[in-house]
Amino acid sequence: MDGLHWSASAMRAARAQLDVATHNLANAVSDGFRRFATSVVLGPGGLRVSAAPANEQGAIRTTGRPFDLALLGPGAFRVGDGTTRNGAFSRDRDGWLVDDRGRHVVGACGALRLSAGATIAGDGTVRDGGRIVDRLPLPAGTQVQSGALETSTVNPIGETLAILTAQRAFETAQKTMLAIDGTREKAANDVGRLK
Amino acid sequence: MNRAMYAAATGMAAQQTQLEIVADNLANADVAGFKGAAATFADVRAGAIGLGTTAIGRHALFMQGKLVRSGGSFDVAIDGPGFFVVERNGKRAYTRNGEFARQADGTLRNAAGWNLAGVRIPADALAVRVERDGRVAVDTPQQKNRALAQLRLATFAAPEGLRPLGATLFAQSEASGPVRLFVPGGRDGPAIAFGMLERSNVSIVESMMQILGAQRAYEANAKGVQAADEMLRIANNLHRG
Repeated sequence: MDGLHWSASAMRAARAQLDVATHNLANAVSDGFRRFATSVVLGPGGLRVSAAPANEQGAIRTTGRPFDLALLGPGAFRVGDGTTRNGAFSRDRDGWLVDDRGRHVVGACGALRLSAGATIAGDGTVRDGGRIVDRLPLPAGTQVQSGALETSTVNPIGETLAILTAQRAFETAQKTMLAIDGTREKAANDVGRLK
Repeated sequence: MNRAMYAAATGMAAQQTQLEIVADNLANADVAGFKGAAATFADVRAGAIGLGTTAIGRHALFMQGKLVRSGGSFDVAIDGPGFFVVERNGKRAYTRNGEFARQADGTLRNAAGWNLAGVRIPADALAVRVERDGRVAVDTPQQKNRALAQLRLATFAAPEGLRPLGATLFAQSEASGPVRLFVPGGRDGPAIAFGMLERSNVSIVESMMQILGAQRAYEANAKGVQAADEMLRIANNLHRG
């Protein structure tokens, strides 16, 4: 790889970082969202950017809705075929506990169907009419808080900074590219010229 | 850069939705029986690639509002869950706004023109009273405390699925399930408070904070669009004529 290719890979990396930062920023108010953290690795093909959800705990905000659940610790709720950390659940007309996309919330014994007075304890135990009916499959040590939601872990200041940094890195790489191009132009057009 | 630009744009759209809902909450903060709403957002992803955010739901928050003594002669409030049943032109709707006024024909009508179902006050009634179990009684020149009607309240399997028909009115929907009527005043059950109104459950302080937050988040996302645009400009300048 020559300087031109290195500069191009730096520009691509800056662009990838901008993609992640804008995605994070757009989700600053998505409950249960985990910020994507980027890491840049220097490889033989240039800079490579990878992004993965950062395992940080979001702040808890109380909502007062009885089936809003916040996770304190790692893990996720099982909904339908997938998982989510957004615990904004409600009972549908038939008593099934569903998320905002209509997917069923799944406990250890299958999809949860509850009466309006059901409660979910801190360890994930589901009680309905005084009896334990199911429990949420959670990793050991993870607690559930009902009547609350976990807010997004995105810090808008950090993401704004990441956007600025990406933009400047892109600009620097472009300037480097122009400088290399200028040198080559000189080599091609001026070095061999006879006065 | 385009992906970043669109992701940032979805963030701006989300903040706008948020602002609309908060503004609606604030506008109705003084309306009796009004229930504030909240939007929920989730990230949009194609595999590992983030594409921004989208609004996935809007909930009316049915938390109890404070009951306050009012000056109206037929103001009622519900202490606990449930809805008043109101009618207009043969159609039914459900509300927690118990601000009714007596009409010339004896019906009790709210500001939106809907009548409280099942109650008609006789022309010679001097005073009207509602007990906590929904019994309506009137004093007439001939008879004191004459039983007139029984108010029933409505409940739904999933009240959050009700279809809003304006600030405080709701209609039954597929999602809410069918209406079930019940007599209030049971032990631990909801009861009727006569001469009281339920205030909206909107917190003005919290709404103001939400507006400020939405405004700043909108700005931050706009900066993301700008940065993506700027980077496109820089890329274009690579080519010098």
